[in-house]
Amino acid sequence: MTLGEFFSCSLLAFGAPLVMFAMTVANDPVRIIIMTVSAFSWLVSFLLSAIVWYLVSPLWPYVAFGMAVAVMFQELFRALMYIFLRKTEAGLKEISENHSIGSNKVEMAYVCGLGYGLMSGAFALVNVLADSVGPGTLGLQGGTEYFFITSAAMTLCMILLNTFWSVIFFNGCDEYSYLKVSWVVLSHYFVSALSLLNRKELYYATILPSYIVMLITAVIAFRCAGGTSKSLLQSFRLSS
Amino acid sequence: MNYNILNLCLLCLFNLKLSWTERLQEQIYSSIEGGAPCFRRLNGTHQMGCSSEEESSQGVVHFIKERSEAEWIVHNATAGPYMAVVSVLLFNSIIDMFLKKPDNIAGVVVFDNTTFDISTFSPDSKCPNEYSSAPESTCSHAGGSKWNKGGTDLMRTDIPFPIIFLAKTHYEQVEKIEQCYEKFNVDKTNQKGYPLCSVQISSFMYAAVDTATCLKRSAASVLLPPARVCDPLGGRTVTYSLFPRAKETKSTKKPVILVTARMDAASLFDGLSPGASSAVVGLVTLITAAVTLSQMIPMSNSKSFNYNVLWTLLTGESFDYIASQRIAYDMLSERWPSPPLSPADIPLHIEIGQIGGALLKHKDEEIWPLNIFAPISQNNIDKISDVVNEFKSNANKKNLTVSLTSTNNLPPSSLHSFRRILKNFTDTGAIAELLIVDHNEEFTNMYYNSVIDGSDKIGYLYHNVNIGDNGTFVSTDELIAEGIMKSTEPQVKISKLATATAQTLYKKVTGEQYSGNQSASAHMVDELLYCFLNTSKCPLLKAANFGSGYINTLPDMVAPLYVGVAGVPNFVPIFAGHILVLLTGTHLSVNRTVCNNLENDDFLYYWLKGWNNDGVCIESTVNSTETYSPAFEINGYNFKSGEYSTWTESVWREMWARVYVSASGKGATAAAICGLAATVLAAFVTYWLRSRADSIFMNAPTSPEIDAATTGILRTVNC
Repeated sequence: MTLGEFFSCSLLAFGAPLVMFAMTVANDPVRIIIMTVSAFSWLVSFLLSAIVWYLVSPLWPYVAFGMAVAVMFQELFRALMYIFLRKTEAGLKEISENHSIGSNKVEMAYVCGLGYGLMSGAFALVNVLADSVGPGTLGLQGGTEYFFITSAAMTLCMILLNTFWSVIFFNGCDEYSYLKVSWVVLSHYFVSALSLLNRKELYYATILPSYIVMLITAVIAFRCAGGTSKSLLQSFRLSS
Repeated sequence: MNYNILNLCLLCLFNLKLSWTERLQEQIYSSIEGGAPCFRRLNGTHQMGCSSEEESSQGVVHFIKERSEAEWIVHNATAGPYMAVVSVLLFNSIIDMFLKKPDNIAGVVVFDNTTFDISTFSPDSKCPNEYSSAPESTCSHAGGSKWNKGGTDLMRTDIPFPIIFLAKTHYEQVEKIEQCYEKFNVDKTNQKGYPLCSVQISSFMYAAVDTATCLKRSAASVLLPPARVCDPLGGRTVTYSLFPRAKETKSTKKPVILVTARMDAASLFDGLSPGASSAVVGLVTLITAAVTLSQMIPMSNSKSFNYNVLWTLLTGESFDYIASQRIAYDMLSERWPSPPLSPADIPLHIEIGQIGGALLKHKDEEIWPLNIFAPISQNNIDKISDVVNEFKSNANKKNLTVSLTSTNNLPPSSLHSFRRILKNFTDTGAIAELLIVDHNEEFTNMYYNSVIDGSDKIGYLYHNVNIGDNGTFVSTDELIAEGIMKSTEPQVKISKLATATAQTLYKKVTGEQYSGNQSASAHMVDELLYCFLNTSKCPLLKAANFGSGYINTLPDMVAPLYVGVAGVPNFVPIFAGHILVLLTGTHLSVNRTVCNNLENDDFLYYWLKGWNNDGVCIESTVNSTETYSPAFEINGYNFKSGEYSTWTESVWREMWARVYVSASGKGATAAAICGLAATVLAAFVTYWLRSRADSIFMNAPTSPEIDAATTGILRTVNC
């Protein structure tokens, strides 16, 4: 039974992002490169947060401190990633066979965000997945067997959030819109703070608000990309 | 420098990860500590004992509080396989049922209750060592009386699932399992499809089939490197001769009276074989008698007597008499001990057999009915009645009753080995044989070779009387006079038996009645029993420990009496040997360097801690020899012949058990459904947005057109 848990949780967390990757990124080598660079930059950001956390030993017992540092570094590296992309845009365009690449700025932001999210998701879930193989599940000292599915759902939420955040963040930077950038940073802090409730086993209190934030972020990202409700509705009418 | 920082980063990343994993593991699993697992042994024809599946065995916990619940598991339960948790009280009555239909059984956890006592519990067979018995034995015949009536034969059964035993001291582990069980499994009708409390046991045994097969597998082949899968059972035989024998010549050679007792017991479980009345009482009686005799006959008078006494402690007797077969076999070719004995040198063999079983029954009385079994024939009747009468009169003076049973159908004892292997000497009566026990047709020990054959089964309580500076013990009479001990206590009874034995041997050796006032001290018996039944960290062993090295700190636990495997030092023979050295040897006042350089064919010199803990040099005739069955020495021995003991013990990797909650599968199903839905939805949305991007993202922000001129050069390059 527990091996099933491993596979179904993997599917829940990584199924959707992998489909997105396969349909939008996998066919273009330059996008793959950008995604890899973005994933790597997430790793570096996490490494730096770990160093800071390690150096401030008195605060080790407080998970919130580590979380705050990690979110700060992640957003810092998102900004660095933006600068990096803008600097290399022209060059990328040249080496790419698809010369239209970069003409749509949202596209790059999306690819960056997906890489960022996938790496953070992998980091968050791999250890949990390793324990889901069994034969045991949570319950002996509190907790329920739904711990694994909530972890996977939370991971999926974070991957998608990172994707949307990058779209909004990059767009905000382009337009010098502090509102959009601060939404990204604040909602990131908010969702991460919610996950602190996991220790108290209030899984619903984490997941529901997180998904609501994710939906709001998705709508904002959609708008940043130039979509409107009208155009969306129209697309349905056109196809019918 | 940079490299160092990177290292540090990796380290802390790793730490973050590790601590999280550990936390999750700890929340899911709880290790069952202190469980003693049942393991596999093999003999010439069979494999016996337990083994888990190769990785582990896991099953749903079920507490068996009455027999019907065991029936329910075997026949009706559907959420299986099950891990049955049962007290020793019920164990015997349900294990047969499990063995008959083991399909639904993943394993058994047996625990010892603190509140109940049990009438009989013995995993050995009804006729222990029946296949190595002398031909006159009738125990295994149909209708013959069985020595060990309560024996379940479990130790000689191949059990297809693992079993672990939790002693009284680990009862909190049982409570842990019970808490989890109460929380998840109590509703028997609603188990399938719910999270259930489960237990996992890993105790996989590498050896299989029988001894010959596993030895073949252990041997190196041309293609594969050797992988040892089983070890022959064996240990050390401890001997102590009253007078040194090394310088004897053919003409001055004295006949030797052989006095033996076994110092090994057994059980189904690893590391737990207390053997109180199976072996310890006999072992302690022999040591006490040996010490008493050494005080009665000073070493200096050795030349004037016609007999010598060889006290011998045997090991592996529970497994087809390993040590006694070995010494009988070696005596045939005069290879044991050093200097070697020939069977013709032994006029008398006294075995202190299984005694102690009747102590509990008579714990409020002064009596302790003893019985001597002796195969009496025309040739040896004088010799035996001489000794028996002497022993009887000595024992009667101490309020011990002794009866004599003349029979060739002897209870399980090392005499069987002598009667099989040294047949020519025993049948002619050249070796007269006596067996001292405290039972008649059936064992009085109801816990023969079991894990619960502990100090409480002989009614022993430690008195902790101070030992004098130079190892002087308070005499029995003094103890009783001062009211420290009562004459009904086992210590006193054992000291009386030891005194009677020593006086009998004194008469035999010197030819005169003993008239001195030396007698065995109940105080010494008290200390000896404490060392072998309660803890190895006892005053006697502290003094008898090596002056340096080897065993630096004595373990604060009962040393298991299980024989162990040949070549691996076992505690009990070392302890027994050292105690004999300390109590019977001559204490010399020389320092350590001199002691180590002393040489004398007659003696060995031991540097022990001594009573003052500052080291003492002791001159002694105590010696020990490596002992394992001749079967492993004879070239091309046929392991199926049944001539010698063929026991081996399987090798295992590690043993552990843990309790956890197994998933109902609902979480997995929910995750699968949600995962599928999310994936399909993502696929659809991505497809839709992508294929209609032009119409949906009409206002998409675009980057400013890059000036063609600035990149003109690059455009000509195709890369």
